[in-house]
Amino acid sequence: MKSPQPLPRWVRQTKVVLFKELVDSFRDKRALSSILLSIMVGPLITAFMMNRIADRQKEADDVRVPIVGARNAPALVQWLSQQSGVVVTPPPADPEQAVREQSEYVVLVVPQDYADDFRASRPAGIKVIADSARADARAQVERVQRLLAQYNAEIGALRLIGRGVSPAAATPIKVESVEVSTTQQRAAKLLSVIPLMVLLAAFTGAMQLATDATAGERERGSLEALLVNPVPRGALALGKVIAAALSAMLAVMVTAVLCTALLRFIPLQELGMRFRFGAPHMLGLMAAALPMCLLTAAVQSCVATLAKSFKEAQTYMGILILAPMLVGVMGTLYPIDHQPWMYGVPLLGQYVLVTSVLGGYAPGPIAFGAAALACVASAALLLRATVALLNDERIVFGR
Amino acid sequence: MIAAIDLKKYFGPVAAVNGVTFTAKDGQVTGLLGPNGAGKTTTLRMLYGVMRPDDGTIEVDHIDATKHPRDAQARLGVLPDLAGLYPRLTAREQVRYYGELHGLEGEALEERTDELLKTLDLSHLANRRSAGYSHGERTKVAIARALVHEPQNVILDEPTNGLDVMSTRAVRAIIKRLKAEGRCVLFSSHVMQEVSALCDSIVVIAGGKVVAHGTPDELRAKAGYDSLEDAFVALAGSGEPR
Repeated sequence: MKSPQPLPRWVRQTKVVLFKELVDSFRDKRALSSILLSIMVGPLITAFMMNRIADRQKEADDVRVPIVGARNAPALVQWLSQQSGVVVTPPPADPEQAVREQSEYVVLVVPQDYADDFRASRPAGIKVIADSARADARAQVERVQRLLAQYNAEIGALRLIGRGVSPAAATPIKVESVEVSTTQQRAAKLLSVIPLMVLLAAFTGAMQLATDATAGERERGSLEALLVNPVPRGALALGKVIAAALSAMLAVMVTAVLCTALLRFIPLQELGMRFRFGAPHMLGLMAAALPMCLLTAAVQSCVATLAKSFKEAQTYMGILILAPMLVGVMGTLYPIDHQPWMYGVPLLGQYVLVTSVLGGYAPGPIAFGAAALACVASAALLLRATVALLNDERIVFGR
Repeated sequence: MIAAIDLKKYFGPVAAVNGVTFTAKDGQVTGLLGPNGAGKTTTLRMLYGVMRPDDGTIEVDHIDATKHPRDAQARLGVLPDLAGLYPRLTAREQVRYYGELHGLEGEALEERTDELLKTLDLSHLANRRSAGYSHGERTKVAIARALVHEPQNVILDEPTNGLDVMSTRAVRAIIKRLKAEGRCVLFSSHVMQEVSALCDSIVVIAGGKVVAHGTPDELRAKAGYDSLEDAFVALAGSGEPR
């Protein structure tokens, strides 16, 4: 490769530092596998849980209804068995015990006087035996209750018609829920862990390299020898930060690809969701998340340079990673209405952008630009701080 | 040529170096001799540009190192006090890294690296990562990377410290070769035989000050002792009163 204009010396030196740090850290197999593990655990657990939710949803439509005293209400039993996915089964010997022991989700009990009451148009009692403490039975119980309510309404309407009254008179108000969020947005809400995982990847990806190239360099005693070379401290710091940023970018890409690959295996349709994720979405996600990697690398390098030892640096890294977690938790607890100022706040801006992109809504180039600029500007400030630290003899030679 | 002119360095209220002046000439080996804590390392650190003197001037080949530190560093090859290697890089890569930082590249750099590894008897380590090196091997690799840009001036801070006999001899051979090549070699030590065997000129410092400066013979004459060790103890002022 021959360029007509040779690059300035400090740029070439920055490149030398950058390549050395990348080679050095990618040979650290132990660190590499710990990074890979920590960025894979989140997506895998989420995928597993979403799959369980989807399965549960599917199971709820197929419900087994054991009925005690089925012959007391032959019409109801027949109606129930005609509903799709409903199987009426003979009752267990002790219904309450069966529900308590979780051998049945729900048991219906039709008392002796049901037929008399029904014929006389008196409210006829039916008992639904269920355990509300069982989260996994809730869908089945709700389905049975919905079916009973539906039967109630149908019979009630027939009775009113029989007495010459319009069933509409028994329905003074009609409640209609209007859902304003698109299916895409609802899916994104459920998948709101993905932006958090992308943010976390930007931290975990840079962490190892940022600490090893700063606190590690000093602890190994190689920093003094490095500083003897005629290289401006700015070139040293920049090379190290860019190397850490590239490592973070790789982690972000792996996370994004992993999440989207796993999403294909989750039956989102069963959850009533449509979720499309194509090349434009991936492009938007990268445009939102990659500039943040410069910031995470810069802040980690700066803090690790300040630390007295490698161990101390690792402790600080543990504290730093609370920042994206805080943003993620806030984003889930207090649904963010996207305000323009948020794009200017590093991390928050990226969180909002990634959430929007996953929701199928593109915020426009100005938002992307503002969020990227905020990250690059704060990264530049942190880089200057790191250079100042490297110029401080108390930092270089320990205190 | 390296010249220190009235160098001073304070750590808080303590004067670690308090007016050190000497010159290390080309084609000569200059020894910086002194007891522990005399200010040897601090003096050298100022000379090779990782500490700023609070007062005084440093000249490297007539370049004012306090004003143009990078230009001065480009003419220096240094084995510093802390000369750690990168455990995951091979000997060749450690040498190449420093060469690239000095602006060397391509074929010339590879040739120079090969040549250095061969002269320092490190060829068998060329492609082995430094994690398992012995202390002597680590020191030699650190010297190799310091010499990759063929510096006119070489500063070695206690190069034989903690080395076995074979490695010590190897390091002394390197120092002699550098002198024969007409370079300026400045090294610190507290080992008497080493200094008297190698040095053309000795600078004795104690308490942050130069207490004597001259050839080994001059120093012996000045202190009135036949043995350089006794002379050193007398000059450094930490021995028994005469």
